[in-house]
Amino acid sequence: MRQTPSDTQSIDADVPSHLYAPAGQVVSADASSELSRRQFLEAAGFTISLAAIGGCGRAPVQHALPPPKLPVGMIPGQLRYYASTCAGCPASCGLLVGTRDGRPLKMEGLPEHPLSRGGLCAVGQALPIGLYDSQRLVSPLRAGQPAEWVVIDQEIAQSLAQFKGQQKMVRLVSSTVTSPTLQAGIDSFLKQFADGEHVVFDAVSCAAILDAHAATHSVRVLPHYRFERAATVVSFEADFLGTWISPVEFTAAWSTRRNPQPGMPEMSYHVQFESRMSLTGSNADRRYAIHPQEQGPLVGRLTELVAARVGAPLSARLAPAIDIDQERVLANLVERLWQTRGQSLVISDSQDTGVQRCVNYINHLLGNYDHTLELARYSRQRQGNDRDVEQLVEDLTSDRVGALLVTDVDLLHALANCDGMADAIDRIPVTISCAPRVDEFASHAKYVCPDHHALESWYDAEPIASLVSLGQPTLAPLGNTRSVLESLAAWSGQPTDVGAAIRLHWKSVVFPRRLAQATASFAEFWDNALRDGFVEVEPEPVNIREFASTSIRPLIHPAATNAFSLVLYANVGMPDARHAHNPWLQELPDPVTKITWGNCVSISSGDAERLGIQDGDVVSVSAGRDGPRLELPAFIQVGQHEGSLAIALAYGCKGTDRFAKIGPQWFQAEPTVPELGLVGVNAASFLEFRNGTLRYQRSGVTLAKTGTHRELAATQQHNSLELPADVAPFGAERREIVQFTTLAAFAKDVHAGAPEQHHASEPQLWPEDHSKTGHAWGMVIDLNKCTGCSACVIACQSENNVPVVGYDEVRRQREMHWLRIDRYYTTAFQDISVLHQPMMCQHCDNAPCETVCPVLATVHSSEGLNEQIYNRCVGTRYCANNCPFKVRRFNWFEYPRNDSLKNLVLNPEVTVRSRGVMEKCSMCVQRIEAARIVARTQGQPIADGAIQTACQQSCPANAIVFGDMNDPTSGIHAARENPRIFRVLEELNVRPSVSYLRVVRNRGEEALRG
Amino acid sequence: MVEVRQQRKPKPSPVRVREAWENLRPTLITGDKQPADVTRDICAPLDRRPTALWWWAFLVAFTALVVGATAVTYQIAVGIGTWGLNRTVGWAFDITNFVFWVGIGHAGTLISAVLFLFRQKWRTSVNRSAEAMTLFAVVCAGLFPVIHMGRPWLAFWMAPYPNTRGPLWVNFKSPLLWDVFAISTYLLISAVFWYVGLIPDLATIRDRSQSVWRRRLAGIFSLGWNGSAKTWHRYETVYLLLAGLATPLVFSVHTIVSMDFATAVIPGWHTTIFPPYFVAGAIFSGLAMVLTLMIIARKVMRLEDYITVRHVEAMCKLMLSMGCIVGLAYGTEFFIAAYSGNSYEQFLFINRALGPFRWAYWTMVSCNVLIPQLLWLRAVRRNIILVFLISIVVNIGMWFERFVIIVTSLHRDFLPSSWASYQPTIIEVATLLGSFGLFFSCFLLFCRFIPVIAMAEVKGVLRAPHHPQEQDALQGDAA
Repeated sequence: MRQTPSDTQSIDADVPSHLYAPAGQVVSADASSELSRRQFLEAAGFTISLAAIGGCGRAPVQHALPPPKLPVGMIPGQLRYYASTCAGCPASCGLLVGTRDGRPLKMEGLPEHPLSRGGLCAVGQALPIGLYDSQRLVSPLRAGQPAEWVVIDQEIAQSLAQFKGQQKMVRLVSSTVTSPTLQAGIDSFLKQFADGEHVVFDAVSCAAILDAHAATHSVRVLPHYRFERAATVVSFEADFLGTWISPVEFTAAWSTRRNPQPGMPEMSYHVQFESRMSLTGSNADRRYAIHPQEQGPLVGRLTELVAARVGAPLSARLAPAIDIDQERVLANLVERLWQTRGQSLVISDSQDTGVQRCVNYINHLLGNYDHTLELARYSRQRQGNDRDVEQLVEDLTSDRVGALLVTDVDLLHALANCDGMADAIDRIPVTISCAPRVDEFASHAKYVCPDHHALESWYDAEPIASLVSLGQPTLAPLGNTRSVLESLAAWSGQPTDVGAAIRLHWKSVVFPRRLAQATASFAEFWDNALRDGFVEVEPEPVNIREFASTSIRPLIHPAATNAFSLVLYANVGMPDARHAHNPWLQELPDPVTKITWGNCVSISSGDAERLGIQDGDVVSVSAGRDGPRLELPAFIQVGQHEGSLAIALAYGCKGTDRFAKIGPQWFQAEPTVPELGLVGVNAASFLEFRNGTLRYQRSGVTLAKTGTHRELAATQQHNSLELPADVAPFGAERREIVQFTTLAAFAKDVHAGAPEQHHASEPQLWPEDHSKTGHAWGMVIDLNKCTGCSACVIACQSENNVPVVGYDEVRRQREMHWLRIDRYYTTAFQDISVLHQPMMCQHCDNAPCETVCPVLATVHSSEGLNEQIYNRCVGTRYCANNCPFKVRRFNWFEYPRNDSLKNLVLNPEVTVRSRGVMEKCSMCVQRIEAARIVARTQGQPIADGAIQTACQQSCPANAIVFGDMNDPTSGIHAARENPRIFRVLEELNVRPSVSYLRVVRNRGEEALRG
Repeated sequence: MVEVRQQRKPKPSPVRVREAWENLRPTLITGDKQPADVTRDICAPLDRRPTALWWWAFLVAFTALVVGATAVTYQIAVGIGTWGLNRTVGWAFDITNFVFWVGIGHAGTLISAVLFLFRQKWRTSVNRSAEAMTLFAVVCAGLFPVIHMGRPWLAFWMAPYPNTRGPLWVNFKSPLLWDVFAISTYLLISAVFWYVGLIPDLATIRDRSQSVWRRRLAGIFSLGWNGSAKTWHRYETVYLLLAGLATPLVFSVHTIVSMDFATAVIPGWHTTIFPPYFVAGAIFSGLAMVLTLMIIARKVMRLEDYITVRHVEAMCKLMLSMGCIVGLAYGTEFFIAAYSGNSYEQFLFINRALGPFRWAYWTMVSCNVLIPQLLWLRAVRRNIILVFLISIVVNIGMWFERFVIIVTSLHRDFLPSSWASYQPTIIEVATLLGSFGLFFSCFLLFCRFIPVIAMAEVKGVLRAPHHPQEQDALQGDAA
């Protein structure tokens, strides 16, 4: 019930319960017609219902009315924040839902949240556009036709009743359930049946880590990784800054140790071994490209070396020999690990349990357990059990399953590798999908019982065994949907309300686990949890046994082949297929490839040259003669190991053909989806079950050109700081756009990495054009913390009503993102380094754009902002041409805004731009003005930190500082004192207000090449 | 003494005198024309029905105009996105065409005003059509800054007029605004200059017209011309003054156009050499276009006696000199880039010559610098077909010069992350075609309704038939 993170005032809990009207009823009454804004606002009064706790049920109220008296503290048109929990993935980060007039608009990170620490990823930021999706199911379906809940409930209850006595299986498949209440609901639902089981199936699973811990520590749990405690991080393919388990949490933790100070040049040492170029690898101090099949031998050898270093050498070799260079790398690494024992962390994303056991052994030998990995407070963010899934597939295909319920995962899409599944599912008597849209499984299911959108429903989560958080509804359901928990309860014959169920569960299970110093009143406990969004409790005891060294056995090493090895991975912007209908995420450039709208086959440059493949050539990838096969455009990825391929999962989802015409339509416009009709291609057909886990690596894959070409819609065409060799001037082959240095050089000279010119201090020819006597807004971005995760890109898109333009426009280099992340490769070190640089309007003091506009549509404010006046702009594009940073975005067309429901996602504080005008980053001027109004009404100056730009607020790495550069006490003033500071293109004397902090890589070289 | 002298220096033979005379005062108009012949010859096309050739030419030009108009209508209805521009390359065909057409216009003013002040008599045969060409080229040019806007219906915001928007005014710092003034001034002066030059000829048309309407119209526009000495005197004073007024425009307009680029920070644009370089380029392209048109006109309108090989040769020499200046500018740019030590500038020029748009760069260099060197040869200058081809080549080259300056500078600027390519769409090509359609439609209508050669001026340079040449020479040049 908090309004702002700092406001602890709770709204009265005794708001009349009739105000908690399920306003969704209003909508569902004519669900087929579109929801008008007026109707919506009528329903909006229910926001205050958040104060009404439990017991309200879906009361028999047919219409929601605006409250006759405004609830305390509510001001129409004012943004209010509610603490909640992100439901975008099982990581369950803390969420602040910004609502305005009962309309959730802006997702932000919850600053006090112990895991995400105020960060929120792109997926979390993009929740609202999923909420206002006019193609979400608005009512349950029975045999593909809309039906009443009563009818469906009756039928399902009847048909399920027959399984109670029988030995027919009832299976409920879900992805990881972090909600303790839902888990209890599922358990009690399945308990009715003689053979009822819950199968946890994660589309991208970490089952091997859990299985390994079951073997080594006798508990099948995922450890809670504490990167903030790790001085040395060794990661084998685990993309922990991008997609692995809980990327926001890990980024926040990892970035705390990436802050070398002048007096204390220390930072963590991060080594990445990987075959594809992941976001994590791009940020590593040292990245070693390895063949996917080398991971096992490397981990095995590292285990041997660590064991030898610890003084407990293994009796047998774990893996075949590795080559001499790698041996040397590992020898150095072991020394580092040993020196930082107890503060090091070795992780792997391998789905080979043997490898994971070795990883556990290394961590055990180094004494990392209870320091950088916690088992007592284990993580519940991945619970998938692939053995169960494999068993389920067998049960399904042999017709032993009587009823199949699927929620949160598209079984058919994610298990595209299993033949005959669709037919098997058709033969099952009762199939129920809880998907919010007709996905592949839902199209085969007898009943589709759509779940609420997360922003419409109560839910809770326990991401870490000692942290329970609450998610609260921020508006009444827009459709006639129902929470899964309510559906299960209804089918068990005990209908309940989800809010009531959660409160009840908390009272009986969570409240007793409260910390010693917590309140003794449950009402207060609940209110606090609701206000804060989370509550820390005592972990449930787990029975961790001594490390079972006997579980360390020689690794099974597959025979090497000449064929390719394929790595399947999740994209940062598209972690699973549930988000496939989110246009913001589809158009989010992948942080590494910069490709939008679909997946591709990443291939190494050596292989591409050998096979004569160029970017965009459609290639056919197949595994064996009768094995899976798919066709996708190829992409030559820097840093990809030769002999390996990589394809992103979670594409090719049913229904994504809806995006064919998402962009502007004119006679030469190309549809966003290729001929097949879907965004991307589903690569899950290449998955395979092996030794009890689902494998994301497949060897023996062949690649062939098809002769067709589909241009990739990438937002960056030149990817290197080095200029093309054929046109580079002598002595200036590399541009100092992103400055970087090594820790060794930094320790000697804090200004290391700065180019040899200093222009800012030189006397200026002209007097100061814009003297800023009041505020001087500026920004500092710490590139050493920034991982390039692109959360800020979506934050900006959401805040500033940035349109989605579709494949064809991106391909034509006309994406509209105000904030982009430039990703550069450089060969300044011996190996490939990757640098990320968020780039937006630099708000130059001597702005080249301002002088050239003939109609004064872009002018300088007295506070240092470069302001764009949309309604004055006539669209000459001269300003964009003259911008050295190319951050200005032109409205080439009138972008489609004709979906009145989707338009609800628009921020009313920011003008929607029409065609023919220029736009760009405004440094969230609406937020500056809002803070100014608040400060003025309070008679106070604007406090430092009162203004947070959208990008800054959600940055998981906390890399962005915004504030008043004239205020000597401000954070930005301090940040500008940092010796690592530099401004891009300083030599042009445009004097940007945005500065960057130099990248420091923890390496020994003292000078860069070239 | 006198006799001795006469003995030493034999009297020159009449043949040798004629040769010397021919060198000193070349025959500009061949065919022994009398003033009446001039009037008859030049007004003939106006009286006749248009030839089939004219109709065909007009059909082609007008079709191109319609295609262009359709493209522009579509683009204005749908958006600038129908062009191939992107976030990095914000100008391409639009401003290329603009600068190209402004440049074409320059030769007209040069020929009519500058050559007039320098007493270059050969200009009389070509000045009328060169001025008309200027006018139409400036009209074509003026279209592009309007249609290239995102919101062309608000183009009037570029004008500093008192408005109800409070203190909102135009930005006098913006070279684009200077363009507005420069182009509108240029259009106005060119139109007035052309019209004033037309007045005596309009009177001629008035006096010999059979058609009542034509007589009345010509009567109105000839402003009551009566051919008296006083009228002639005043006319020539006005003409001289206007020539003086138009002369600085030859230099100022393209200087200002060049500042669109020179005042920007983009490497390849930010260059102090641009004003003279652009002026020379403009005159170069204008001369090429005049040659193209004149060679067509003399064939189609059978004006070989008035536009002689001598005229063509003079134009060629002028064009060659301008081409050399342009070539020098190209070289200077590279030298300055190398000498400046500015790595962005250095990169840009290497990229121009060897990067993805090298084909455009080398097209430009071949067309503007290498091929025109053929004009050093007299035989080439006097070969109408070859000159015609070279003039076309120079036109192409000068279009590419502007394309190269605009697109290659923009497409790879400071941040490598933003580098992009550029490819025109059909709409842009159609718009370029349409501008040629507009130009040639106007020019063909001009040929049809207005004397293409300034009759009054040509009569002034006819060889006086009743006086012996020697006597004429003693009188001096009385034009």
